[in-house]
Amino acid sequence: MHFKIRPAKKEDCKEISRLIMELAVYEKMPDQVKIAHEELERDGFCENPFFQCLVAEVPEEHKSKEGFTVVGYALYFYTYSTWKGRSIFLEDLYVMPEFRGNGIGKGLLCKVAEVGKKKECVRLQLSVLDWNTPSRDFYAAKGAQDLTVSEGWHAIRFDGQSLDNLANEAAKI
Amino acid sequence: MDFSIRAANVEDCKDIARMIVELADYEKVTDHVKITQRDLEQDGFSKNPFFHGIIAEVPEQLRTKDGHTKVGYALYFYSYSSWAGRAIYMEDLYVMPEFRGKGIGKALMSKVAQLGLAAGCNQLNFTVLDWNKSSRDFYMSQGCCDVTTSMGYHCMRCEGEALQHLAQP
Repeated sequence: MHFKIRPAKKEDCKEISRLIMELAVYEKMPDQVKIAHEELERDGFCENPFFQCLVAEVPEEHKSKEGFTVVGYALYFYTYSTWKGRSIFLEDLYVMPEFRGNGIGKGLLCKVAEVGKKKECVRLQLSVLDWNTPSRDFYAAKGAQDLTVSEGWHAIRFDGQSLDNLANEAAKI
Repeated sequence: MDFSIRAANVEDCKDIARMIVELADYEKVTDHVKITQRDLEQDGFSKNPFFHGIIAEVPEQLRTKDGHTKVGYALYFYSYSSWAGRAIYMEDLYVMPEFRGKGIGKALMSKVAQLGLAAGCNQLNFTVLDWNKSSRDFYMSQGCCDVTTSMGYHCMRCEGEALQHLAQP
């Protein structure tokens, strides 16, 4: 399936907000979502943004049954490790169910790794719920290390060779 | 004890680097520290810094036996929750052993909370090692909740009333 990954624009925030809610539903916590597109517009597109975002878009002829062409997103921000230095944290990665299995999730993840590499980040971190086997398997397959084994959230990291490999994959998209 | 809390400047990086190693020693992972004073200068004091710092300082007459007056620090950055919005993440909080029990740690953490609220943040997040009972007890006493129970690091969050309370001077 043909798709494009590009930086989000302010105008995408309504779509991103929709996808955020879909992800929260998937994670069984929709009542935890307290912000809407207005906050995303304000916080992601100001002079010192709190986050960055990439969106995955499909052409009109592949739009979803409700008519959406923005079908996935990755929301991330820069962090810092006082041990290792510059890092990137992947806050959200989501692809609408009907568009999965087409490499969109991997494309988004790789693009984030690439962006991080350009900024000399030495880690890409994220968290995943322990019952979320498909996502855990997805990240493990990409060389991620599960740093915190628990009953709930997991902290995940890409660094060294696995990060380089991931960033290099972005060039193939 | 008389002490002051202020924003870190680039000249503080030498002492911050020293205390980062002290904290890593305390956390039993000294060999994990790969960054240097120069990395801190570049990454914390450029146009788009990756982090911000707060320093706790004591007057000259209370300096350590090695002559240090900078005796604690907190290092933080702004983050984001796609559910809750703006957040602040406290990466490190450290006070030199001989200066503990004087309210310096609490003052540093409160300052972070205050700065977070001033910036419109809804959460203060950080992590702590599960065997670090004194730190865990300290954080719990400030009204935080343990969001991830594990065998290793814990993600902690202060929000709502606990955060407002923490931000009080």
